[in-house]
Amino acid sequence: MPTQNLVETHNLTKQYGKIRCVNAVNMQVPPGAIYGFLGPNGAGKSTTLKMILGLARTTEGSITLFDTPVNEKNRMKLLAQTGSLIESPSYYGHLTGEENLRIIQTLKGCSEKDINEVLKIVRLNDARKKLVNHYSLGMKQRLGLAAALLGFPKLLILDEPTNGLDPAGIQEMRELICTLPSGYGITVIVSSHLLGEIDQMADHVGIIRKGELVYQNTLESLHSHSKEQIALRVSHMAIALDLLRQDGIEATQEDGYLLLPMVDDTYVANLCRLLVAQNISLYRVEKREKSLEDIFLSLTGKETSL
Amino acid sequence: MITLRMEFQKIRRKKIALTMCALLCVQFAWLLWSGSHPDENERLNGWISMLYSLPLVSVIMMPVIMSVLASRFADVEHKGNTYKLLNTLRRPGTLYHAKVICGLFFIFAISVAQFIFVIALGYARGYAGHPEWKYYAAAFVLNLSCCLSLYLLQLLLSMLFFNQMIPLVAGLGGSMLGLILMYVKMYSFLPWGGFLSAAQVSMDWNPETKVVHFFYREYSPVELCAVAMIFVWIVVFYAAGRILFGRKEV
Amino acid sequence: MLTSYTKAVKAESLKLKRSPVWLAFFALPMISAFFGTMNYKMNLGVLKSEWYSLWSQHTLFLCYLFMPALIGTYCSYLWRLEHTRHNWNSFLTAPLPLSSLYLGKLTQAVRVSILGNLWIFALFFICGKLAGIQSPFPREALEWFLCGTVGAVVVCCVQLLLSLIIRSFAVPIGIALAGGILGLYMTNHDYGMNYPYSIYCLGMRANNPNMEISISTLLVNSAGYIIIFAALSVFYLRRHEIAAT
Repeated sequence: MPTQNLVETHNLTKQYGKIRCVNAVNMQVPPGAIYGFLGPNGAGKSTTLKMILGLARTTEGSITLFDTPVNEKNRMKLLAQTGSLIESPSYYGHLTGEENLRIIQTLKGCSEKDINEVLKIVRLNDARKKLVNHYSLGMKQRLGLAAALLGFPKLLILDEPTNGLDPAGIQEMRELICTLPSGYGITVIVSSHLLGEIDQMADHVGIIRKGELVYQNTLESLHSHSKEQIALRVSHMAIALDLLRQDGIEATQEDGYLLLPMVDDTYVANLCRLLVAQNISLYRVEKREKSLEDIFLSLTGKETSL
Repeated sequence: MITLRMEFQKIRRKKIALTMCALLCVQFAWLLWSGSHPDENERLNGWISMLYSLPLVSVIMMPVIMSVLASRFADVEHKGNTYKLLNTLRRPGTLYHAKVICGLFFIFAISVAQFIFVIALGYARGYAGHPEWKYYAAAFVLNLSCCLSLYLLQLLLSMLFFNQMIPLVAGLGGSMLGLILMYVKMYSFLPWGGFLSAAQVSMDWNPETKVVHFFYREYSPVELCAVAMIFVWIVVFYAAGRILFGRKEV
Repeated sequence: MLTSYTKAVKAESLKLKRSPVWLAFFALPMISAFFGTMNYKMNLGVLKSEWYSLWSQHTLFLCYLFMPALIGTYCSYLWRLEHTRHNWNSFLTAPLPLSSLYLGKLTQAVRVSILGNLWIFALFFICGKLAGIQSPFPREALEWFLCGTVGAVVVCCVQLLLSLIIRSFAVPIGIALAGGILGLYMTNHDYGMNYPYSIYCLGMRANNPNMEISISTLLVNSAGYIIIFAALSVFYLRRHEIAAT
């Protein structure tokens, strides 16, 4: 049964001992997307990505890449179309950057010209003859990205690629990643624990918390959650709620306020009149803006973030 | 003190004690095997012959055991890339000292176990009389010192080189050199020659009658120098370690 | 088109660049040959069988005690490349069968063992000539070399498995030395052919060039051990989540 998603997981679960560090995750990554995989440290991001790559076995559930189920038989075929950078970059420190890439190029069986091209993309051309032991962390990270790009795979999986980089390095890595889908037709899954980072790179978002995928949609729709709300403070909350429901408006109660979805000015004016007519004292009418950060925190839980 | 406790913390779950025990057991098995079913003559010469085999076992196994031990202590830092971190937390020399003391603890335990086993084995086989304590004590101290000098050398190499093949091959080569020197009965001033210098017992072998005669060695002045050399090596390797790891930049 | 096996071998060769670890296989036999020849020259009264006596002097310690450990260091080195710097992630996501990746490692270990063995025989020849041995070079030496090499492959397989499972560099080498020492006992009790670390010494006729051995037993037992230990290694790579922790 063909689907339109490049990556799909069904009920993906990983259990270590009694702890389910990934629990029934249904991830869907459409082709051409930059899928931001967002969650606090230890939420199960790395484990999920490792299962997609076959580095960790699944306890339950299944994974489909390019409409092909991930299993021992398809392992090679799928890995050939996938590039990855998991956790810290892999490298042989006693070899130069170019020699490191040549090893991966040999294993992947792609063209030697790719080495020059990826070195150019990650701007390591000048350091290609230097031993990787003498690279800075940012350079090692970029070398890791170059290795993942070799052969220009259909899918690129990057786990916390900006970890440990300085602000300039982060900016550079971000810009690099953004060019990949349009420039080379690569679909990217990039994980991070920083919302701001994903916000600047991704067009699709999955948010994972304690092993569970608590949110998954386009970045746009996550932004739409951040739309403004009207907050009311009144003397008789229950009656006010009833009145609103008769009008077909679902309000929620929070911290002594009634929260309404954004409505136009006329409706607010009418509502106030109506409440006063019912002898309800109207203390406050406020316009509220819920930021992306608030949404993220409410989804992932304040205590676990960062 | 804290640094020392940290060292012991770091090797938890590393099964180093288990590895050392296993290698000791091989030594015991060897000693057990050589000279099992002793005849009357062998019972008579039991205690002295034991002091002859002990350095032989040591010279083959101890250099490698010491390199395994030292590599285990140093590699913890290589793998975690933690030299930098630890050197910011403590004075660099402290880290080195902690590794030395930690190693000394193991060396002492190994040596004690070795001698207890040998003495127990001798009594169990019913060797005539009692061990000559003077020579056994000297053998114990020299064996321990020799191990310490090799451990300090291996620690130096293991911490200096990320590539652990270098120290391990040095350990193997040294062990081989020591063994061959012992085989051709040549004293030397090399660190691995120490086990031969430290040997309290020598033997004569009559090719015609095939009778082996053990005797306690008389040290010539040059041979005494070779013994003293063991302690010189300890000082040299220790000083080198102090200087190098007082300012190792990674 | 390159097959996956040759790809793996080529990648492993690239990884070994710039680290002349094979030098160990050059140096250790030299020590043994030097002192062996010296001892031979000093004891010509007892050692009268010319090439055969010299061979026993050259190989006695080297084959029993040090070659297994030396092969062990090389195997430890091969896996250490992956045990450090997070390389398991990249090693295991290479689009090649795990068996090919393993065979890439094994090929390197076997290659250096063969070269080491060749060097031992070259030293034997050179030292013999230098020591002034007049009789012709023994023809059986070719058989010793071939049988010894088969035995060395067995040691490679055992040590590769140990160094794959045990992440410490040094511990498998300690095991190899212990294995070699126990091999002395096994060989003495006619059990050597069944013991992985002894097959090498028996094949090389170390210390006893006149020893009669059954070549068919040697080949069958070696093949058995090679298959078992190689299969265990590949199985471990497949089942164990090495990169997951």
